Amino acid sequence: MALRTTAAVLVGRAVRVAARLRGGGSAIPGNIALRIDPGFLERTIARIPHGVVAVSGSNGKSTTTNMLAAIIRAHGLSVFTNPSGGNLPQGIASALLSEVSTGGRLNKDIAILEIDEGYGTRLAELLKPRTVLLLNIQIDQLNRYHEPDRVATMLGRVAATSTDGLILNREDNFLVDMDARIPGRTGRRVSFFGGVPSLVDDASHGVASADRFDEGSAVPGSRAAAVEVVALDGARATLAIDPWTDGETGDGVASARTQIEVRLPARGMHYALDAAGAAATARSVLGERFRPELVTRALDTLETVYGRGEMLEVAGEQIEIIMMKNPASLQLNLDSLEGAPEQVFLAVDEGTPDPSWIYDIDFSALDHVDGITGSKAWQFAVRFGYLGIPVGEVDLDVRRALKAFLARPKPATGHKVMILNYEQMMLIRKILGFKELEGGGAA
Amino acid sequence: MSASLKILHLFPRLLGLNGESGNVDILTLRSEWRGLPVEVTRHDGGTPVGFGDADLVFIGSGPTSAQLLAHPLVLDVAAELRELAADGRPFLAIGAGFQLLGQTIALEGGEVLEGAGVFPVATRHGGTRVVGDFVVESPRLGTVVGFENRGSFVDVGPHGTLGRVVYGRGNTETPFEEGFWEDNLLGTHMHGPILANNPGLADSLLDTARTRRGLAYTDPAPERLREIDDRAREARGTIAANPLSE
Repeated sequence: MALRTTAAVLVGRAVRVAARLRGGGSAIPGNIALRIDPGFLERTIARIPHGVVAVSGSNGKSTTTNMLAAIIRAHGLSVFTNPSGGNLPQGIASALLSEVSTGGRLNKDIAILEIDEGYGTRLAELLKPRTVLLLNIQIDQLNRYHEPDRVATMLGRVAATSTDGLILNREDNFLVDMDARIPGRTGRRVSFFGGVPSLVDDASHGVASADRFDEGSAVPGSRAAAVEVVALDGARATLAIDPWTDGETGDGVASARTQIEVRLPARGMHYALDAAGAAATARSVLGERFRPELVTRALDTLETVYGRGEMLEVAGEQIEIIMMKNPASLQLNLDSLEGAPEQVFLAVDEGTPDPSWIYDIDFSALDHVDGITGSKAWQFAVRFGYLGIPVGEVDLDVRRALKAFLARPKPATGHKVMILNYEQMMLIRKILGFKELEGGGAA
Repeated sequence: MSASLKILHLFPRLLGLNGESGNVDILTLRSEWRGLPVEVTRHDGGTPVGFGDADLVFIGSGPTSAQLLAHPLVLDVAAELRELAADGRPFLAIGAGFQLLGQTIALEGGEVLEGAGVFPVATRHGGTRVVGDFVVESPRLGTVVGFENRGSFVDVGPHGTLGRVVYGRGNTETPFEEGFWEDNLLGTHMHGPILANNPGLADSLLDTARTRRGLAYTDPAPERLREIDDRAREARGTIAANPLSE
């Protein structure tokens, strides 16, 4: 067994080095390690002293995991986390490879792991999370999940595995009463995060929660929140945090709340809710050790995750990357644009197999698009045609289209904007010479 | 009162998961840009209003949970809908909406729901879900492309279909034919904004509606539709050249 683990770690690492030199393929090493030693992931994770926090939902997993890890680290714990996108078993195993000893031991206090909602049930069995944070259920990848109701069922199973803490978004149609729809468990503390009604309603498409057609036992927003977004000013938000009480009932006393200001990756209420979710989870995990002011400190110095409010510097020019992961993320990111961008580029390929949902998106934040590329480009061009949004050039050759866009004059105000799906974001980063793997090249 | 085309959009709130209301927008713009105004009536349940004036009826798709909620509401207006169909008003029905307008829907648990009886088809939920690009060769329109995402089979008997399946599965276990298309009735599981990639289908529905009313376009071929149709041709070509599924 030990020999097998050592082999898995060594071979996996060798593959990892090879993959990094090529500039891609972050899941492959983990895949190989798991083939050599199938129990590698489960066994290594089970030995982590403070256990596992699992973060899932349709949108914001990477951003929130990144925030939560930083907050926990600011409290003095060492954290193992998976890089954004590496949220399947093989991705997590890949991340483990760089951190474990050759005997398969991981010298960390706690694991904070983003998990894919489709693999949630399997991963929860494997990782046995003590704490689960669920962010939202939005219309996402219907080609994969078929309907939001199924995602709700899958995330319900993940929630049910939590032993110590369950943290839910009270603004979400499906999550507001998730605790009542799963078997209860003694010792599990349930807490909520959310925003004051004026902020939630002000976001022009709300929180983009998927429609729910069955009867819920609570309406969104109705649960008492342990952490609440109370003010939002550009990329800064104010969070009101309930004091920790031993008997944690979820009914916070408003007068005793601590208010802190936090920096967000970019403008947008969805990022403020991610920060609230991360703070509420840190509070649940750390209990009386939790210090609200450390949330501010941790988020102030946080680097953004690829494509989530990220600015790339290309040839001395700042380019904002908006990742078009799914309808909700695209809508929320479009809503948070400050005025129609002067130069816009869009790239979407088979990574978005069915872009039908672009007919549900309000594109009024754009007044034109300069260039579109990727295999779905013509479908977007049709949509923009019906919207009366002028389209500069459609070119399915990504390199050529990108070159033409970069050659366009620097905007008089603001910066160029690229709206990309995940696969195109990774490809374009590579074309532009950003060779690190997802996860910011940590280690 | 100036003449306008009236579209009845059934259950837009419950059935419209995959950008399907885009179909109504597309029908509206294609008529209005040619000089024929359109009025859209949305029916989400309750007393049917404006059904008698409807020139074209659209119903979209949705998850099974929404389909079950829409079911009694559909039965409430079944007689009115059958009348419209018998009177030659064109119907476009997609996915769950198509199933609800059929004769019966056998659910996976064995329960059989009665449909509105507009389409002479029967649906059976179950089987492996098919998800992927969908390419159909229509004798009337040529290549029709879109996206297939279904976990059911539909029996259309000896009736006419949208076309022969080139890529994807289609109505039954045997990949062969897709949907139902006879006279004024078109039903399919090519979900989402099917009319976006296939403007010929939109124009065919509009023509059926116009002809019945004797309404003409003042500008049958505006430049901006020509540009959109060129893009849609490219979109069809891109999908048909390299269709993918899971």
